[in-house]
Amino acid sequence: MSSAQLDIQLIAAVVAAACAIPGVFLVLRKMALISDAISHSILPGIVIGFFITQDLNSPILILLAAVTGIVTVVLVEIIQKTGLVKEDTAIGLVFPTLFSVGVILIAKNASDIHLDIDAVLLGELAFAPFDRLLIAGRDMGPKSLWVMGTILVVTVTLMVLFFKELKVSTFDAGLSAALGFSPVVLHYGLMSVSSITIVGAFDAVGAILVVALMIAPAATAYLLTTDLKKMLILSVLLGVFSAIAGYWLAHLLDASISGSMTTVLGIVFLMVYLFAPDKGLLSVLYRQKQQRTEVSLITFLLHLNNHSELSERHLNHLQEHINWQEVQSKTVVELALKNNMITIEDQIVSLTEKGRNFTGLALEYIMTNRDDKIEHVKDDFFLFRG
Amino acid sequence: MTEEKLAISVDDLTVAYDYKPVLWDIDLEVPEGVLMAIVGPNGAGKSTLIKSILGIIKPIAGSVSIFGKPYKNQRKLVAYVPQKGSVDWDFPTTAADVVLMGTYGSLGWIRRPGQKEKKAALEALEKVGMLPFKNRQISQLSGGQQQRVFLARALVQDASIYFMDEPFQGVDATTEIAIINILKELRKAGKTLVVVHHDLQTVPEYFDWVTFLNVKKIATGPIKEVFNDDNLTKTYGINYKVAVNK
Repeated sequence: MSSAQLDIQLIAAVVAAACAIPGVFLVLRKMALISDAISHSILPGIVIGFFITQDLNSPILILLAAVTGIVTVVLVEIIQKTGLVKEDTAIGLVFPTLFSVGVILIAKNASDIHLDIDAVLLGELAFAPFDRLLIAGRDMGPKSLWVMGTILVVTVTLMVLFFKELKVSTFDAGLSAALGFSPVVLHYGLMSVSSITIVGAFDAVGAILVVALMIAPAATAYLLTTDLKKMLILSVLLGVFSAIAGYWLAHLLDASISGSMTTVLGIVFLMVYLFAPDKGLLSVLYRQKQQRTEVSLITFLLHLNNHSELSERHLNHLQEHINWQEVQSKTVVELALKNNMITIEDQIVSLTEKGRNFTGLALEYIMTNRDDKIEHVKDDFFLFRG
Repeated sequence: MTEEKLAISVDDLTVAYDYKPVLWDIDLEVPEGVLMAIVGPNGAGKSTLIKSILGIIKPIAGSVSIFGKPYKNQRKLVAYVPQKGSVDWDFPTTAADVVLMGTYGSLGWIRRPGQKEKKAALEALEKVGMLPFKNRQISQLSGGQQQRVFLARALVQDASIYFMDEPFQGVDATTEIAIINILKELRKAGKTLVVVHHDLQTVPEYFDWVTFLNVKKIATGPIKEVFNDDNLTKTYGINYKVAVNK
């Protein structure tokens, strides 16, 4: 591995980690689209900043562009407050307008400015290692690594310091205000950090892909955990993993690095969406199937409980009576037999002692709907699984 | 009534959304130690009144004082239970953690909850009968359990005044009784409670003080004096008959 390759992976990993942290709060605040808006509308800020500083990694440029990000948020809020359009429409109005101003500025000054639209949209990660930070003639490493590293350190510090405030204002803005943690201050704090992070990452991964780095790791982590701290840590790990895996995918396919990183993010999300232990699609489908079987079992047992006459308890009669298809009734009868809830003699089904107890419990739950009854029955139900 | 005995004093409070008054020139004095219901039709400004007392909504006129001082100096004396529907219950957190949020106010900015706060949170969960569910993710709780968690979060604040926005909305009968018993206990301990309430039938049974609100304040005072057909009719605009002395 050459040092340029190592540099690229380091930059990608730092960018991914820095994006993942504000991304978690944006996702939880249902503001994912705002990151899309900011990432586009900072373009005029970057272009004007570039006119002034002639350096894409200059801190002045980053701050100037971040201000454009905040302006975007304010404009969206102003338009939304008129009550004439909804938030998504307001976002859709603001960012293309600002973005197109940036596009025109680039086009008009194409000869003087070292920026092109491709780079704006997709980034130039491959060239990032060649812009070095020189201090007194000494090579300190790639400039963008220093820029993003600084942003990451500041983001992590702020997040650790204000974790409790961010959590309460995200979960319950009303309580946060009543306790004296102004949701407005925290909102604009988060927007500022997001804007600065997006501007810093923009150079490396471009306007479109930075959105993926903010949203995809958070959305994936959300499916895996029910703890905010774990969600933050998982998001960072998933982002860093996807960044590095994406780099090697690009290497393998000889394709765009940022494109490959985003592809990996998408694949990771898809995998988790399908296979996550609790919230994954397969596990949800499996649970639903289990629940259907459990309901069928209870229906069957209740029927037996209600009828002492033999004709009602004949196997064939049951099938007609409860109006189930053959396969379903067979599954249910087998399940009940396996758990010693029924006995079958001469095609006549009878409840066992255990079956009667369970039916009584289930009835009590259905009638009272008491929470403590649910807990008990839930534990019991678990015995029947598998 | 002397100034010291007033828990809450609202003067000439007016709140408007987009130039339309939601609360109009409200004067309200709540003595210490009462369990007060705020009643009124939908859109009467009941939640808005609580929110503007707590500084969550900025009024266009008027002032509020809590034990004689502005709210922002008295935050630690006040606990707030918002409407259950105002938060996202899919948020990645547990019942115990939500209760812990009640301690954030006394901690102030940056300082984190320690052992003392965590212990207080568990005690509050115990009081509302939710200790067995402390590690349960909040979306896995029933509506009544979620409301109890919110109540525990207010209890942990150990405040002098409790504001509650429809704590009985969408809860089962068992929870409703459990909650009202806790509210009555708090009043016995000398706390002041202000509760937005919907069910007029239970007002005389649950509360000892009531405020009728419909954009303007219609009446306020002890149940025995003001909870009558006249005020109900003025508030709800139709002839209302509720048997007060059953």
